[in-house]
Amino acid sequence: MVNLELLQGLDDDEAGRVLALGERITLAAGEVLFRLGDSAGSVYLITRGCIRLTLPMHVRDREEDLLVEEQAAGHMVGWSALTPPHRFTLTATAPLETEVVALDRDALDAYFAAHPKTGQAVAFNLASAIGRRLQLFQTMWLREVQRMVESRCA
Amino acid sequence: MEMLLMGACLSILGLAVACLAFGAATRGLEEEKPAASVELKVAKPAVATRFFVAPAEPVLPLAPRPQLTIEALLLQIEDHVRLEHAAAESYLASPNAALLHSRTVSRFVN
Repeated sequence: MVNLELLQGLDDDEAGRVLALGERITLAAGEVLFRLGDSAGSVYLITRGCIRLTLPMHVRDREEDLLVEEQAAGHMVGWSALTPPHRFTLTATAPLETEVVALDRDALDAYFAAHPKTGQAVAFNLASAIGRRLQLFQTMWLREVQRMVESRCA
Repeated sequence: MEMLLMGACLSILGLAVACLAFGAATRGLEEEKPAASVELKVAKPAVATRFFVAPAEPVLPLAPRPQLTIEALLLQIEDHVRLEHAAAESYLASPNAALLHSRTVSRFVN
């Protein structure tokens, strides 16, 4: 079993119980898991393969889905399901055959209400994952701004 | 008498040298004038200057840039995103200003 970032700190039995709430989905290469703007009801833990997260961009009068980030096995995608307004802000596609566990928000809510320590651990892992991605994108943004400054001052 | 003749010869010789020098000097100026006017013509703007109208900027010939296909451009952008992601990961593993502004080999921005 891969080390899943959302379930870190939980013992194997507890992690197994949380995973049992979910549904295993196998995506074919090129299949879309969710689209930008869709209602977000589930968070997805990648257990095999990889997910591409893209945003639309206009390139020479054409709208193209541009890669924003890639997430490999062990990581989660679709955490918009756990944070309001529960709408996906990216499009997720499997570039190769990929397996995910879909965890429904309502099922998680009910389980965490009954098991608050598990809920606390998962909430902490969620905050860490979101914080990590925020830091990554802050860094990438600052590097782009630095390049703009250099090109303007050249 | 001899002294008078010698003085006259020397005077004529001096006058001749002075004339030659003057001729050479004025001929040099006349030859330079057309060159200066040519330079001035080159320096003139292509469009007549008017109030509130900026003179036309000289157009520098640009090196022809090969037009990438959209697919090639998208691949360059994807590579760029991956490289930037990796650079950001390196920075977060060991935050310092040098890593934050490390150079990229990305063809998209180079």
